[in-house]
Order: sequence, then structure tokens, then C-alpha cells
Amino acid sequence: MNAEAVPMTQPQHSMSDTIRRPTVAFPLLLIVLTMAIFSVAVAFLSNAFWLSACTSAVALSLSVTGLAVLYGQLGLVSLCQFALVGVGGWVALRIGHAYHPPFELSMLAGGVVAALVGLVFGIPALRLRGLYLALVTLMLAGTFQTIISAWGFPDGGPGFLGRADGAGRAMLARPSMATGATAYFLYVCAMATLGFVVMQWHKLAKPGRAWALIRKGETVAVASGVNVLTYKAWAFALSGFFAGIAGALLAGNVGQLDGRAFSAFESLNLFALTIVGGSYNWFGALIAGLLLRAVPALLTDLGIDGYVTIGIFGVALFHALATAPTGIAGQISALIARVGRLFSGREAA
Amino acid sequence: MLKILKVMAASLTLGLLSALSAHAAVSCGDNSGKPATGEPIIIGAITGKTGPDDFSNSTKSALAYFNCLNANGGIKGRPVKYLVEDDQWNPETAAQLAAKLVNDQKAVLMVGNSSYVECGANAEFYKKAGIEVIAGVGVPRECFFAQNYAPTNAGPRVSMLGAMGYALDKLNAKSVACIGPNIPNVGTWSCDGVVSLAKEKGFKAETILMDPGSADATSIILKAAASKPDVIVLGMSKGVAVPLLTAAEEQGLNQTITFLSAASAYDLSVPATIGPAWDGKFFVNMEFNDLQATTPDNQNWLAVMDKYGQKSDPRDTFAQAGYLAARIAEKALMTLDPKNITRETVSAAVRQVKGFQSDIFCAPWYFGDGQPRHNANSSTRMAVSEGGKWKVVSDCAPSPDPELKDVRAFEATMK
Amino acid sequence: MNLLPFLISGLGIGAVYALSGVGLVILYRSTGVLNFAFGAIGALGAHVAWQLQQWQQPLAVAILAAVAVATAVSFLYGRVFAPLLSHRDTVVQAVGTVAPALFLIAVMGVIWGELPRRLQLPTDQMFLTLFGVRLTATRLIALALAILMVVAITLLLNRTRLGLDMRALANDRDLSAILGVRIRYTETAAWVITGVFAGLAGLLLADLVRLQGTFLTFLVIPAIAAAILGQLRSLTVTAIAGISVGVVEAALTPIDWVSSYRAAAPFVIALAAVMILGAMSITTLRDR
Repeated sequence: MNAEAVPMTQPQHSMSDTIRRPTVAFPLLLIVLTMAIFSVAVAFLSNAFWLSACTSAVALSLSVTGLAVLYGQLGLVSLCQFALVGVGGWVALRIGHAYHPPFELSMLAGGVVAALVGLVFGIPALRLRGLYLALVTLMLAGTFQTIISAWGFPDGGPGFLGRADGAGRAMLARPSMATGATAYFLYVCAMATLGFVVMQWHKLAKPGRAWALIRKGETVAVASGVNVLTYKAWAFALSGFFAGIAGALLAGNVGQLDGRAFSAFESLNLFALTIVGGSYNWFGALIAGLLLRAVPALLTDLGIDGYVTIGIFGVALFHALATAPTGIAGQISALIARVGRLFSGREAA
Repeated sequence: MLKILKVMAASLTLGLLSALSAHAAVSCGDNSGKPATGEPIIIGAITGKTGPDDFSNSTKSALAYFNCLNANGGIKGRPVKYLVEDDQWNPETAAQLAAKLVNDQKAVLMVGNSSYVECGANAEFYKKAGIEVIAGVGVPRECFFAQNYAPTNAGPRVSMLGAMGYALDKLNAKSVACIGPNIPNVGTWSCDGVVSLAKEKGFKAETILMDPGSADATSIILKAAASKPDVIVLGMSKGVAVPLLTAAEEQGLNQTITFLSAASAYDLSVPATIGPAWDGKFFVNMEFNDLQATTPDNQNWLAVMDKYGQKSDPRDTFAQAGYLAARIAEKALMTLDPKNITRETVSAAVRQVKGFQSDIFCAPWYFGDGQPRHNANSSTRMAVSEGGKWKVVSDCAPSPDPELKDVRAFEATMK
Repeated sequence: MNLLPFLISGLGIGAVYALSGVGLVILYRSTGVLNFAFGAIGALGAHVAWQLQQWQQPLAVAILAAVAVATAVSFLYGRVFAPLLSHRDTVVQAVGTVAPALFLIAVMGVIWGELPRRLQLPTDQMFLTLFGVRLTATRLIALALAILMVVAITLLLNRTRLGLDMRALANDRDLSAILGVRIRYTETAAWVITGVFAGLAGLLLADLVRLQGTFLTFLVIPAIAAAILGQLRSLTVTAIAGISVGVVEAALTPIDWVSSYRAAAPFVIALAAVMILGAMSITTLRDR
């Protein structure tokens, strides 16, 4: 399955020998274009319910993009990504309520702290691989679950925990340029696009090549002069950063977060959907985000019982895992490639 | 033997009574029996159905009442269209659903909401949207400290202190251990109430907070018992209260310490689940009247459930809350001109509600216009587990919660 | 405060962690699948037992049915669904078991809902008093069962053909296949064994903790902590780790400042162990 993924990026590499700049720029431009069409379409077509669901979905897809890089590029599994989303959300709420800075500052703080936390726990884990790493990160997620259910998220109160026990709960203000639901959705889409572009650039440029080498084998990478530790750590930090940003964006959507929504099982679920969405194409993250929030919203909207929804989810998860090794995104890109070949074939004839 | 016979006779009469009352006339709307056909009035509700506990009984009961209302003339000819959504115990989902009901469906009022997470997530949104909520069951503090949110129930803290008051007055408790969940604004809030009452009245109180996700109930019980309290009060949901009681029974503590609980453990299944070892040893606070009370409004509730609800809908305290919320909404809506029912007029009418009488409440319910918070239900009863059932052991008594000072002061101005 | 009572009270939960951990390790060693549905399968069995008790069936029938249902579900997944993922990496195979966990949560939610239930065993009423704490017979049974199962499985692995095949699979799957180990058969046997463990652990947890579908499903995570401490290989270490984790979790109760966080004890211990073992390079932390 890993082998199947590599060819998708390889043609671009081989072309990059002749005309370098357009090849990096074109896929990035494509991301911006696709996201623009997606966000405008959703903004125009959906009502308040769908707008809110899609805002969460896009915000979470930002955290998936970090997971996808770890897994798709390096073969590393992190089962604490949702906990890092929680860390980012906590910090953003804490800073936001304490100092009332512009939203962007709280968000950045959330991202940076989540990146640091990801890194601190990532470094000892750098020696581990495969299931062992996965389980260590799952233990982290379990620890976070216990802590956050005792602490809760800050809501404008005093003290380190910032809990408003006396007065009503305060809401985190949205960015001043995007206070309305539609504006905030577009804002989140813009942030996500930025994240996707940064990640895609990483894949196409030097870090991506280093990651690919590390994946081939660490001895190979070391022999080629790649600093394995730095590049691995950088991947962890990047992944944590985007998780943190996603947490801040989620906090901005509702105005606050709830500790009970950050259980270890959620992190497990997030990873499962990352695979289902597809971790080798940038839009796999978007698909995973939509699966995580928009599909349950659809089932809720259809009035399907919550437990039945969970059951449907389970069945769909297994089906996707068993039938689509590169995820839904992989299938879509294969389809696009086939259609493209069909057209070019016709032109040639 | 004689005792068994007595119990049997009593339950037989009770059974007969309820069988008779099932045929009692149902009262709702204008009792005309004519279905309402006008333009529907949209009323929304958010409930926590899927998750650690099922809170949807409140909205099921409210739905039964609205069905009854619609079959009997509706609101001056206009039927109520009642939209219920399940927040799945997730605040994010709760916020999405609030946007759906209020912005997309254009609900004019929310009735019967009962959720663990919804108040915190949506109270501000409701205030901004100018919509009022007559909630069924509120749990965390946010439900009782919001401007547009008025629950019909008393809340865990008021209820727990109601139980504490009973322990002080009737059980002569001199020391207490309070066990609450370590969830901010729920467990700490309730147990803080016990501690501040302890300061006021001069008894010994200890607080033990537990992670409801923890598997080990025995250690919590041992810790609570270590300070040798006269009574232990629980502020846990029934799902956690039952294992705590089981662990206490295992340690034989049911013979030495009396256990009490806030209304969260008042569920018909609990006495049978915990078994005969707790007969007369486990007291629970009731936010509403006895579920089998033969008083007129309670009987009307049961009759409405029989005729307009599903057979499987539980007849529990949550359901009473939903029924009351629906009736209060009806009362408010009936004051309006049916041609002019908008969110603004409905909100204004709801704010004016006062002196709402029902024998399910201890005292008349009011909204409290202009108040920053709402906690109209603050007098409660007590029941004890006996023979697999709850037996009511006290009349209505005001909860001694020190935090209710503002509410009591407002009530004094109303008189 | 006296710690002894808490140590005693932790033994019960610890024994179930041990039982679950050993159930997870035996499956992982033989098939390479870490079963996240372990808790859900046990919970389903416990619900079936409760239902049969409600229908006034004898206790023995209820217990047998619980274990049988858990084993059957485990067998079904292991025989039909797990092979569909067997060519993927271990993490994907593990994540695949999240699917049956979710499905079983749905089944239990639809049939039984989330009402608090109590699964009672007659052994709850029998106890012996140690340091002022009652240790019920159920807890003693849990402890005995954990030890018994470890001994039985160790004997199976060391003395039987099936055990040999399992050990061979654990060492090198491809090589075993070449040598004529019946892979499908051996793997299915491991799924059946883990199903029995899940059924027993589910029954005990439903009695000792509470009978609630989602809650029991998520209790697989502390059991995984025990399995990590056993490095996903050693049954004995896993069993000892499980019991210790339960005892430590209980012993933290009287210490006020950590009391609210004690549910994290299994995770923190597992993390610390991995870090220390990793740093000292005592062991090769590897997949199978």
C-alpha cells in the first residue's frame, strides 16, 4: 500500500528536473482553487446547521493533515492527535480569556504549545516505531482524557485553570473580521487552505524527499546525509502545530470546548478516519474531516438514532479499510487519473 | 407474613387506582377534541439521548403533551410542531443543533430541553437570538445561571442540599461526606454547596471528587467512609451511583452509614437494582411529586402519556419535567393573539409567566422576568428505597442552599 | 491515612486488568492484531448474562451464555473479517477492530440502552475481612481466574502442537507458513481463546464495576497499558502488571492532590515503563 502511494508524487519529481518552479507551484495552486470552490459552494448552499457542521469538519481536517503526513510520509502512527487538538483549544481559550488578544494570537499560541507538547512526547517516541509508537501515543491520549475531564476548558474564570465557577461562562471571541457564521466558515477554510498548502509544499520540497528517504530505511537516510532526528522531530512538531490550530478554530466555532469530548477513543477514531479519507493525497484530510463531522450531522439531520449512527459508522469504517487501502482520496485520484488518460488517449487517436 | 399481605394489598389498591385513573379524562388545550389545523407554531428542543445516559424522556413526554394539545384545539387553532434533536452529549453537536432549530427552522421557543452539555454550549446563543428556553432538566450550573434559560427542575445542587437538609433535620446527621463527579460546574458546585451549608450550620463536611470514568468504586467508598461520617451524600448520575452503592454494600457500609442522593439517582429502576440490602438505608431527593401520586395534575400527566405517548416512553421524573415544561409553554402561548405569534411576542409572554400551578411542583412556578438567573423550583421532597420501590417520606421543604438567597429575595418581591 | 485497605480493594480491578491484558497479548502474539473491540465483546456477553438472569435462567446458564456469545463474536470477526486486513500493517489491523467495537456499542445501545444495571453473582455476598476491608469472593475468583488462565495458556503454548504453532507464528509468520503451520487454523484458535478471555473479563467487570456498554468498551485502554508493560509478549509480566496497575490506581485514592487524576495511573505507568526501557535499551521494542 505504501508502494502504491509513491508513484503519485514521483512523476512530479521526474519533471522537476526540467521545469522546476511550475511543478511545485501548480499543485499548490490547485489546492487553493479547489478549496475556494468548495468553501464558496458550501457557504452559499448551506443553512446554519450545515455551516456549523462544515466549520467543525474543515477545522478538524487541519488536524488530520498533520496525521496524514506522519503516517503517509513517514509511516508513523500517532493516536493522540485529538488530545493535541484539545491542548491547542485549551491554550487558545486560556490566552484568549486572560489577555483578550486578537484571535490570531490565541490561535498561534495554541498551535505552538500543541507543537511543543507533540514534540516533547514525540522525541522519546522517535526510537519507537509501528504499533509500539501508536500505543505509547494512545497512553498519552488516555492521560490527557483524565486531566481534561478534571480541568475542563477555560471559560473566563480566574486562576490557572480559568474556570468560571462564579459567573456565567464566557465565550471565546471570534476573529474581528469573521464574527458571523458564514464569515467564520470562510475564515476557517482559508486557514485550512494555508495548512494544506504548507503541508503539500513540505511533501514536494526538500523535507518530503528527506521523509521519503527515512521511510525507505534510516540507514539509507543517514548515508544520504539526512538528519533523521531533525526531520522526524519536525514532522511531529508540524503535525502538533496544525492539531493545535484546529483546536483553536474549533473553540472559535462554538466559543468554548467541553472536556468530555476529548476521550482517547476520539483520537483512535480520528486516526481511523485519516486512513479512510486517504493519507497520501492532500484532500484526504478534507474528506476525513467531513466524515468525522458532516456525515454524523447528515445522519442526525435524517433523524437516525444516535446508536444506529455509531453502528453505520463502524460498518463503513471497516468497509473502507478493507476495500480502499489508499483511502477514498486515493480512489478519487485514481479515477481522475483514469479519466485523464482516457481524454489524452482520445486526443492522440 | 402479615406484613407481606399488607404490602400486597397496598400494591393491589395502588394498581387498581392507577388502572382506574388510566381511563381518567385527559385534560389539555381547550379540551374540545377538535384537532388544530392552522399554521404550525415551531417549538424546538435539544436533548442528550445517545451517550453516557439517556435524557430524552423529558422531550418524549413534552411531545405527548403537545400531541394532546394539537388534538384539542392547539393554541387557539394553531398546532404546535415540536422538533426534537439529540445532541449526543457533545457540546459541538449541541451548538450545531441550536443553530439548526433557531436559525434554520425558525423556532419561536425551546421547550423541554434536557441535556448535560447544552446549557454551557448554547446559553449565550439563545440570549443573542432572543429566544427563551423552558427547559425540562438542567444539570450543570450554567443551566441555572443564564438569562434565557429557565428549567422546571431544581438542579443537582439544590436537590443535593434538599437531601442534606433532610439528613440534618430528620436523620440528625452531624458529619457528612459528599461524593461528586470531578466535572467542573457539576460535582464541585454541588459539594461546595454542602460545604458552605456546613460552615453556616456548623457540621462536619468532607468533599470527595471522583472521575466518573474511573472503574474503581470501592476505593472511593473506602475514602468516604474513612472520616467516619454519619451520612454520605451522592451527586452522581444513576449510572455511577449504583456501582458506588454496590461497593458500599460489599463493604457492609449500608449497615453503619446512611446514604442519600440528589435527584439524579431518583429513577424507578434504582431500588430494584440495588436490592433489599438498602431498604430504609438509601434516601433520595425528588425534584417533583411522587411518580404515582394520585393528585389531579400528576394523574393527567400519566393519562396523557397513556393516550398520546408511546407505551415504551418511561414515566419517570424527567418525563414529569418535560410535561410541565410543555404545559408552561401552553400557558404562555395561550395569552397571545394566534395571528401574532413570533419569537418576540412568545419570549415576552414566557417572561411574564408566574404563579403556574401544578401539584407536581411543590410551589407555583414562575419565569422571573428580568432576573439574570432562574431557579423557580427550589422546594423538594424525599423518598427512601423500600421493597424495590421508592417510598415518599417527607413533604415539600425548601432547600437550604445558601446560594439561593437572590432567588428567595426575588420570590419575596413577587408576593 | 492507612493505605492497606486501598491496596486490598485494588486487587479486584487489577485482576480484571490482568485477565484482559493477557487476553489481548495472546491474540496479538499469534495474529498480530491488537483487539480494540475486546471490551465491547466482553460487554456484549455480560449484557446477555444479565438478560438471561432477568428471564430467571440459572446462573450457570447465564455465565456459559456470556462466554459463548463473546467467543462466537470473536470467532466471527477473527474468521471472516480479520483476514481481510491481514496483509496490511499492524496498525491498520488494530484500527480495523475499532469497527466491531463501534458496531457492538450500537447493538448494545439499541437493545439495552444506557440504564444502570447491576450484574449480581452470589459470590458478591461472601467475603473475608482483611485489614478492615471486605474482600468479596468475586474478587478472589477474579484473582484466581487471572492466575489460572495464565498458567493454562502457558501450558498450552509450551506443551501442545497448537501452542507450538502459535509461538512459531509469533516469531515469523512467513517462515511458519513455509514450514506448514496452518495459519488460518491457528489464528482462529487464538481468536477463540481471546473471546473466552473477553467473556470472562466482561462478566467480572460488569459485576465489579458496572454494566454499561460504552463504559466497558473503553476499559480496553487500561488493559492495553498492562499489555504494553508486558511488552505485548510476556503473559506473566502482563498479568503482574495488570494487578499492580489496579492496586496503584486504588492506592492513589487517599492522596488528595492526585486522587482526581488516578484514572490516568495505568497510562502514566505504561508511558514511564516504555521510556525507561527505551532509554536503557534493555529490550528490543519491536513489533512482534
